[in-house]
Amino acid sequence: MRSITPARDRSAVSEPRETPFLDPALDRLAIRPDQPMAEVELLAMYRAMRMARTFEQKLSALYRQGKIVGAVYLGMGQEAIATGVVSLLQKDDYFSTVARGLAGWFMRGVEPRHVLARWLGKDVPPGHGRELGLFLADLKQYGLAPYHNGSMASWIPSGAGFALAFKYRREPRVYAALTGDGATSPGDFYEGLNFASIHKLPLVVIVENNCFAYSTPNSLQMPVANVADRAPAFNVPADIGFGNDIFEVRRLAQKAIDHARRGNGPYLLEFKTFRQRGHGEHDDMAYVPPDLREFWERRDPIRLFQEYLEGEGGLAAADIAAVDGECRTVIDEAVAYAEGLPAPDPSTVTHRLFAE
Amino acid sequence: MSVRTYLEAISDGLRDEMRRDRNVILLGEDIAAFGGAFKITRGFVEEFGAERVIDTPISESGFVGAASAAAIEGLRPVVEFQFADFIACAFDQIVNFAAKAHYRWGTPVPVVFRGPAGGGFRGGPFHSQNPEAWFTHVPGLKVVQPSTPYDAKGLLKAAIRDNNPVIYFEHKHLYRRIREDVPDDDYVVPLGVADIKREGRDLTIVTYGAMVHECLAVAERLASQGAQCEVIDLRSLSPLDKDSFLTSVRKTSRALVVYEAHLTGGFGGEVAAIIAEEAFDALDAPVRRVASLDVPVPFAAALEDAVLPNADKIYRAAVDVLEY
Repeated sequence: MRSITPARDRSAVSEPRETPFLDPALDRLAIRPDQPMAEVELLAMYRAMRMARTFEQKLSALYRQGKIVGAVYLGMGQEAIATGVVSLLQKDDYFSTVARGLAGWFMRGVEPRHVLARWLGKDVPPGHGRELGLFLADLKQYGLAPYHNGSMASWIPSGAGFALAFKYRREPRVYAALTGDGATSPGDFYEGLNFASIHKLPLVVIVENNCFAYSTPNSLQMPVANVADRAPAFNVPADIGFGNDIFEVRRLAQKAIDHARRGNGPYLLEFKTFRQRGHGEHDDMAYVPPDLREFWERRDPIRLFQEYLEGEGGLAAADIAAVDGECRTVIDEAVAYAEGLPAPDPSTVTHRLFAE
Repeated sequence: MSVRTYLEAISDGLRDEMRRDRNVILLGEDIAAFGGAFKITRGFVEEFGAERVIDTPISESGFVGAASAAAIEGLRPVVEFQFADFIACAFDQIVNFAAKAHYRWGTPVPVVFRGPAGGGFRGGPFHSQNPEAWFTHVPGLKVVQPSTPYDAKGLLKAAIRDNNPVIYFEHKHLYRRIREDVPDDDYVVPLGVADIKREGRDLTIVTYGAMVHECLAVAERLASQGAQCEVIDLRSLSPLDKDSFLTSVRKTSRALVVYEAHLTGGFGGEVAAIIAEEAFDALDAPVRRVASLDVPVPFAAALEDAVLPNADKIYRAAVDVLEY
């Protein structure tokens, strides 16, 4: 990890560079927790990540079979970040992420079959076919906060707004906004962090820097090497971590969440990671250099986690295989379940535009 | 009852609702110690504290996003734009977040956006606009524009109590010019209900906002010449009380639509279309519109006067419709 302190020291801001693919200080091919964790906790995180990977492989197949219309967007390669962050949230905390953070939804208890039903445009709550499977908000059940749309910068202001309500009511809750490197370019990113920092709101902004905003590389998005280099402008503390190491994600996220919950204001985390698929499944990723892809695939977050579990972690390979098998079963059942659901009734299309 | 200006009535409505409900908070630029650019919130921070009267940085998109989310979380924020013109900076958060959240997910968004709108006082291109049509085009938003102190207070209170995003355009040129008796007791003017500001049988004038007063002046002048105009003040554009003007047009057989925004794509075009679709058989003359010219609102007095509608322009159009 690297810490960015909110100092006036200009040397904290580094120039962008093309190589290496990852700061050697962050790079590793084996991961381990600081302290031993209970097997049940480890398996819950592994299950969420594997479930997301299995789900997305199926989603990609359904898309190619023409069973899902529109487009699908996958988060393969980024599963450790949302899983790690969400594993630390309290029940009444809120978070937001699009389906790129699917593993985070699963970590929070969202059922795969309900997500799949939404990708298929079925009549299921809360959207009843009005919204893509890409987006999910359900405050009551999961603390998954409503957000804007794919413009992921826009939920930094809204995250600040939820956090403002928590603070106003003296509730010790935090809001975790999981977003991407591309979302750090629009003004909303600055307006939201600025407001949150002025009012010391309990907002944790987690930037999954997956190297590209659709096809545009970091070097054409920002004149600094790291998103976190900008944090001193808001007097917001920040850390940079290796996002494919779930233990590092948890180390840094715990610090950030504690900071925000104690009333010290927002915290910015930047996790270096890589999107193993295109922006959507329609995207052939021709813009990704093969060696970059290979570099990151050797650091696949699920593989790193699994190697720890079966090695130092001391879990039986059979137990891991059992989780993998359970995930396949759950996803197969989810497809059957979702395909059998009714489509929304067109006569309801004008319903629910306004609240009572 | 007390005699209140339009501005005082807005202030009263806001203060009443803040006293009634601790969930009502205010966000905006210079609204706390300074009391707002137009002094709507003078004395508020002293009464309600800085936690409820929040001075924001100049970042409309940021504080609109924050207010909308706080609304989803159960507060009832009222956002003040310093000028309605600056609502453009927050367009995305309003139309893509606040407006759609309930349809997408069933989450109410009880937030009010107050926009001091309108020209006529030499504000120039960025302090004179009437942007209501940008928002009446967006499903999921309610849009209101009061013309009198009574309506201003009652509509604001209804807007704050509504569980949806409401854009409340208040006309700056009315702030200190218009005064009337306003009840001290609690009352609301429901959203979506128009008001007949003057009854008549010869011509229906459909209007809202500051133009209500110009139209009433025209109606007075025409009355002295023997023509009785019915002046309908829409008050709410969305939801729209279309029965108010359809009923009137079926009685008068003639319609004039007057609005201060630009002619093309203005909300009055929608009113004219509804009359054409639903009351065509009742008409004895084509529906006419009087609105601002399709140019930015210029600064110099002679230019601004040439752009904005006024009683003379309305009078000439009314005579045309009456004489058709």
